[in-house]
Amino acid sequence: MNEREMLLRRLSSAQFAAWEMHIFLDTHPDDQQAIASYQKYHEKAQALIKEFEEKYGPITSSASAFGEKRWEWINNPWPWENEKETKN
Amino acid sequence: MWQYEKKLQYPVKIKTPNPKLASLIITQYGGPDGELGASLRYLSQRFAMPYPELKGLLTDIGTEELGHLEMIGSIVYQLTRNLTEKEIKEAGFDAYFVDHTTGIYPASASGVPFTAAYLQSKGDVITDLHENLAAEQKARTTYDNILRFADDPDVRDVIKFLRQREVVHYQRFGEGLRIATDKLNSKNFYAFNPSFDK
Repeated sequence: MNEREMLLRRLSSAQFAAWEMHIFLDTHPDDQQAIASYQKYHEKAQALIKEFEEKYGPITSSASAFGEKRWEWINNPWPWENEKETKN
Repeated sequence: MWQYEKKLQYPVKIKTPNPKLASLIITQYGGPDGELGASLRYLSQRFAMPYPELKGLLTDIGTEELGHLEMIGSIVYQLTRNLTEKEIKEAGFDAYFVDHTTGIYPASASGVPFTAAYLQSKGDVITDLHENLAAEQKARTTYDNILRFADDPDVRDVIKFLRQREVVHYQRFGEGLRIATDKLNSKNFYAFNPSFDK
């Protein structure tokens, strides 16, 4: 696993934990422990998105993630691709 | 509205193509208990949901199912790359291939194209939530059946993740059903549709 994949995995783990709390809170909207847990993982995921986008380009539509000279959104790899086999 | 995140919910990295397995897994893309039907079911039913917990739950689970649709498409895509005509024929992938080459098409393992007849949106909260509880179990059984035929750990890992999400969604829908029935008293339970009768 290369560094990009490792960072993406850490990001996906934090997002997944936040998402699991998110749908739990849909049916338990007053659960304070779940709200605190959601906030913790959401903040962690946001920080990792920022770090990932600064290093490897946009995965969300945030302006800071795009380069000035080229529209980086279209760059390979796309999520369904095995990046080792994809040329830019 | 929706915004796209350029990543999968869970990574799909398959090293070895396997068109035979692809022709089975495509059923979770466009088959009777697949992810396309799941997302359309919840995202359509939500308009008739009378309680905020349930509007949120169907919106969110329907959205997650779209992410699962993308993961299944990615599995089938990666299982069918760099194939020779001989490999396609020997794997029995030739029937799919003549219709779609290696394009991703919503159909079942037996080749039946996706149809909205796979889902219901009944406009009754009790009825719809029972449909959803059954749908999650049917999808879980389908993933169990796929695991019977999948030896590749790269594939099994992703299928096990998706199987586990069916179990979690079943749990959340169960809580949603409890929320709905708690808001109805014993007199109007089944005699009354809180999505329609005011």
